[in-house]
Amino acid sequence: MTATKGGCFGKILEIDLSKQTYKTREVPDEIYQKAIGGNGLAAYFLTTEYKAHKDPLAEDAFIYIGPGPLNGTFCVSTRTSFAHMSPYTGLISHAETGAHFGNEIKWAGWDGIYIKGRSKKPVWLSIVDDKVEFKDATKLWSKDTEETHEAIIKGMNDPYARTAVIGPAGENQVPFSCVIVERFRAAARSGTGMLMGNKKLKGLAVRGSKGVPVVDNVKFMEMATYAKKLAVEKEAWQGIKRWGTAGLMEQNNFFTGSLITKNYQTTWYPDVVKIGAEEANRKFWKRHVACNHCPIHCLKLGVIREGKYKGLIAEGPEYESGGLLGSNLGMTNFNDMIALIEACDAYGIDNISTGGVLGFTTELVEKGVLKPADLDGLKPKWGDGDTYMELIRKIVYKEGKAGKLLSKGVKKMSAEIGKGSEAYAVHVKGKELAAHDARGDKARAYSYALGSCGGDHHEGASTRALVIFAMINSLSTCSFASALIWGGENAKITVGMLNPLCGWNMTEDDYWTTGKRILTMERVFNVREGISRKDDILPVRMRTEKLPAGPKKGAIFTEEDTKKMQDEFYSFVGWDAKGIPTDATLKAYGLEYSIDDIARARKEYNL
Amino acid sequence: MEGKEKKLPDLFPKETTRRGFLRGTAVAAGSAVAMVTVGGLAAKAAHAQAAAPAPQKDLMKYLFAERENCTGCRACEYACSVYHTGVVRPSVSRIHVLKYKDSIDVPVVCWHCNDAPCVAACPTTPKSIIPDPNHNGIILNEKTCLGRKCLKCQEACPAQFVWVNPDTGMPLMCDMCAGDPACVKACKDQSGNPQGPCLMTNKLGFGVNLAFRDVKPNEAGKDLLDLTFYPNVDGKRPTPAKTKKTRRS
Ligand code: SF4
Ligand code: SF4
Ligand code: SF4
Ligand code: SF4
Repeated sequence: MTATKGGCFGKILEIDLSKQTYKTREVPDEIYQKAIGGNGLAAYFLTTEYKAHKDPLAEDAFIYIGPGPLNGTFCVSTRTSFAHMSPYTGLISHAETGAHFGNEIKWAGWDGIYIKGRSKKPVWLSIVDDKVEFKDATKLWSKDTEETHEAIIKGMNDPYARTAVIGPAGENQVPFSCVIVERFRAAARSGTGMLMGNKKLKGLAVRGSKGVPVVDNVKFMEMATYAKKLAVEKEAWQGIKRWGTAGLMEQNNFFTGSLITKNYQTTWYPDVVKIGAEEANRKFWKRHVACNHCPIHCLKLGVIREGKYKGLIAEGPEYESGGLLGSNLGMTNFNDMIALIEACDAYGIDNISTGGVLGFTTELVEKGVLKPADLDGLKPKWGDGDTYMELIRKIVYKEGKAGKLLSKGVKKMSAEIGKGSEAYAVHVKGKELAAHDARGDKARAYSYALGSCGGDHHEGASTRALVIFAMINSLSTCSFASALIWGGENAKITVGMLNPLCGWNMTEDDYWTTGKRILTMERVFNVREGISRKDDILPVRMRTEKLPAGPKKGAIFTEEDTKKMQDEFYSFVGWDAKGIPTDATLKAYGLEYSIDDIARARKEYNL
Repeated sequence: MEGKEKKLPDLFPKETTRRGFLRGTAVAAGSAVAMVTVGGLAAKAAHAQAAAPAPQKDLMKYLFAERENCTGCRACEYACSVYHTGVVRPSVSRIHVLKYKDSIDVPVVCWHCNDAPCVAACPTTPKSIIPDPNHNGIILNEKTCLGRKCLKCQEACPAQFVWVNPDTGMPLMCDMCAGDPACVKACKDQSGNPQGPCLMTNKLGFGVNLAFRDVKPNEAGKDLLDLTFYPNVDGKRPTPAKTKKTRRS
């Protein structure tokens, strides 16, 4: 066991909310070489510290907030992973977010923050370099994310501090509640907000004054500068700078044929022109905002200029938020759509899952499966922004019949409702899907079906990309500014930065092995909870209903597509035909400690 | 912080004037940026051919921020700390970017005021900070500076620009990177479609530095927030309370 030399400090801040104490956990260099950081390190902790069937809301359950070795260095656009066992899906969960929060953790001298325990009364954490304070958050409880953010910044007495907070949804234990980072960025999808709420942790604020140590600065700067240059100059990315991801709304409707529409019934939504990037540019956007050291500035801020939401400053639409809360709900009023997006941000609830739930509900009402009486008299119809706004509020406060039902998420809703609703329930492994329909954009199926978190659009749209994304979520870098822009050079650039930064001797082969190791650790965790090949599939709708219209009319995700995708990926990462990592693979990746776990799971689930 | 009624300094009484004024600066300074770029390219070419002598680089004396263009990427902080210490470390960067109400980014720069109140306030003899006659950068003499015990310069700076080095306690003065500001080059890289750069250099101050420096970062943030999101469409900005209600409805 050796100490880290660069890139990492070799120490993680471990916080116990039950005792209101904190200490330093030393992590040796070998572990970083094996798991890198961020999501990879979290997978290591989850597989070594948790036994199978852990209660994700147990008092000693942890959240790991992990930047990686590249955060806080000259590397272009770095991000942070919020990882834990998901109280929503019961599987591994990692949510990545941009902004500056993760870098600030590094500059405070920590490689990550490990939070366990449960406070008796609401608290927020102030972390300034190595000084940690537990602050009373009783007065902040029930406040929305904007108010909380403002109050915490005030409490820090430092406008340069960076925050991560939850809103009412997290407090009220909505399983798809999220963490809002610096007001407009979300670490969402698998109930990180619920877990924080369960721990009575309203938020964190971090400020650091240190620099990340670099072993060979000349070599490191050379590669980091090259990587940055690609992000500055790559032709294809000029559009994202201009239009953000909102530009994909039009593109995926008119060309790719993958813009989800009305609960995934079709991908043809000509009304996209009323809610897409063009319209946002015309009547909403005001400025471009970048994460740290990022030349792409994909986040767009705007202000609603007319109607009942006049004056509301909000972020978006992004492709996912505009897809799920726009075309997916048949929205034609741009301002109403933006208000729904901003409501989700303010309440601290995942706008992808929320959009999925609302779309599913609307279709059930349309088909007569759900009656207004089941929804406290509400009758959602496509495009009805006011009813959706009311339903979001009900979900957040679990209010009435509608709130109680909808806050369960699509999978549990359909199980409870029955009556054939399963056919329209769009989820993978219990989680709603993002805004790319995998019939029109088949590559997306890799991420949805094979990604560790389920239903996630951010886990790589091909076999190799799944490995690359496991790496970038651990490093942690941005999928735009790094993974996609570096393209075929991912391994070369990453290794070229990590070696001089950390004093390692990684080869490009090691890059792929490390990525596969991280995927395998995550898989081990999921296998212990009963996941296998049978679960690595798309929702029934995408496998049985042809797209009725649009550029990909008639497309469907066939059984052969599924089989081909699974076989290709399993053999690439070294899992058997059932999607279980083999003993030989575990040994090859240095994960011998998981061999028994896998054997037990094989017996338990008859695999 | 400033009371609700307190007005911004009366530099730019009307919004239109202010915008026009900023634009004017942008054009004037923009040509200077272009010159630097051409110089830089030429220098590279010269390096490659070795035969042609590298043209003399212009020494810039003033720094400007076209704040409307800032994306909050902090590449300037990265570049400044790398220039001065070799590694990224925003806490020792001279320039810093304030996130105001998390909707606006305010780059806080040294305006290299001609009357340099920071220098005037320095109690040591000789002065521990002096503007370099060639490039106007404020040069700190660490040997004579009293550091944390004093910090009169920090107090005197009307732009609230001066931060303190957490290791040494010395004030962090903008030295203009000897006339070729690293932050400006970084900002130019960051910008592009559709955003122009925020930071600019020039050989002349145009008095803009004197005008801008009295606007504190917070005031600039508030001003910019109004300017960006609530330009005088109907002369009124909705109160935050009202906004909140509509969102919750
Ligand atoms: S802006 Fe402040 S630090 Fe810069 S010259 Fe003026 S007084 Fe000095
Ligand atoms: S801190 Fe140093 S430079 Fe600043 S006023 Fe005091 S002696 Fe002068
Ligand atoms: S001109 Fe140089 S010293 Fe001044 S803020 Fe820019 S990078 Fe820093
Ligand atoms: S580099 Fe330019 S755009 Fe980026 S934060 Fe600095 S001033 Fe703003």
